[in-house]
Amino acid sequence: MSVRLALHIAASFLALCAVRGAEPGMAAIPDSVYRPLFRGEKDAKEVPVPTFQLDVRPVTNGEFLAFVREHPKWQRSQVKRLFADERYLAHWASDLDLGQARAEQPVTNVSWFAAKAFSASRGKRLPTTAEWELAAGAGFTARDGAKDAEFQAEVARWYATPSPAVLPDAGGRANVFGVRDLHGLVWEWTSDFNSAMVTGDARGDSGLERQLFCGAGSVGAKDTGNFPAFMRFGFRSSLRAGYTVHNLGFRCAKTP
Amino acid sequence: MKTLLAFLLPCVLLAAEPLPPCCRPALAAGQPTDKSLYLLDSTWTSDVIRKIKLGVLRGRPQIVALFFTQCEYACPILVEELKGIERKLAPEVLGKVDFLLVSIDSKRDTPAALAAFREKRQLTRERWTLLRGEADDVRELAALLGVNYTEDARGQFAHSNLITLLNADGEVAFQHTGLKQDPAPLIAAIEKAAGGAQR
Repeated sequence: MSVRLALHIAASFLALCAVRGAEPGMAAIPDSVYRPLFRGEKDAKEVPVPTFQLDVRPVTNGEFLAFVREHPKWQRSQVKRLFADERYLAHWASDLDLGQARAEQPVTNVSWFAAKAFSASRGKRLPTTAEWELAAGAGFTARDGAKDAEFQAEVARWYATPSPAVLPDAGGRANVFGVRDLHGLVWEWTSDFNSAMVTGDARGDSGLERQLFCGAGSVGAKDTGNFPAFMRFGFRSSLRAGYTVHNLGFRCAKTP
Repeated sequence: MKTLLAFLLPCVLLAAEPLPPCCRPALAAGQPTDKSLYLLDSTWTSDVIRKIKLGVLRGRPQIVALFFTQCEYACPILVEELKGIERKLAPEVLGKVDFLLVSIDSKRDTPAALAAFREKRQLTRERWTLLRGEADDVRELAALLGVNYTEDARGQFAHSNLITLLNADGEVAFQHTGLKQDPAPLIAAIEKAAGGAQR
């Protein structure tokens, strides 16, 4: 076999991987267009989102335990207050003991900084809000979840239900991309959670683009029927990077 | 050696002019406190000297705002407000606090753009530090300050207008929200923080 032929085969194989392949535990999301829920007059209607990989499920207690073992500065007793508030990993028994928490449950009570550090330690990153929302908008059978009645019903059901005291394990039904648990388990951090220029109330801490705020918020919205997305935007804009919340976790992403 | 020279040379060349806060020698102090922003390890570039860590600002309270030089709406007002505060401070307070502007426009705000902005807005060198950083590092600093921002299709950033006072240890001591608010509480906080200045 000639070298040229071998190279050709190798190149074809690589090209195939680039299209189809995702790391184990991750799903490839193809090039897409994200249509932001909130838009000012000057904002783009459509944001191109180049292909990326997304963890098929949120990071679990078990995985996070392995991380803090490797990186003691992220253990509960070691973490700097700047990077995580007092409730950081509060549901664990101690630094390295999950206690009542199960290894397969999504990890929660983690700050944005901790989520970012975990992702970096795995050679990954947090997804952007556009990436996350794009993946979360996909239904079980259709890329556009709005066209998937069964999916819509499931999502509405979750957002209408308070978080259970004990979180279920990760591993819900996969969406069309093969990603699970984007709805139904926990809220999730995004890398630019602090890009949401909408506040749920009239705090007035964001002087620009007033049309985005207060009651006017919904006027700029693309789809006023997408209540869950409103809730997510409201929730994100209320967060600070050091906050830890009992039903807020994360998953990682990766540029191909 | 070469890098050391490259680092020192601007300092030497600029010795005739007053050094901006970021170019002063760092305080030889212990670890930053648990809530100090100086725990951040990110590297920043100023309009005057190449690379710094925020920790070099330790020892003196900093009045911090995020901005970008191409800003058409709020930033000119924000910077004017900061300058108004500078004018209102008593000389003994003024000698103990610095002003820090950090750009959120990583793409366009080069050190040269920052220098031009300093010139245009007449921000004195001995008191004002102008910094740019990588997008991720800016996102992180903004997250710590509680500043939200997003870029629109025209490259303008919508952002929270927030002035943060860091004490000498780099902890958030006071935050002043919104434009055209009464600056009295902020000024009172600055006067108090100036008492803790270590240089």
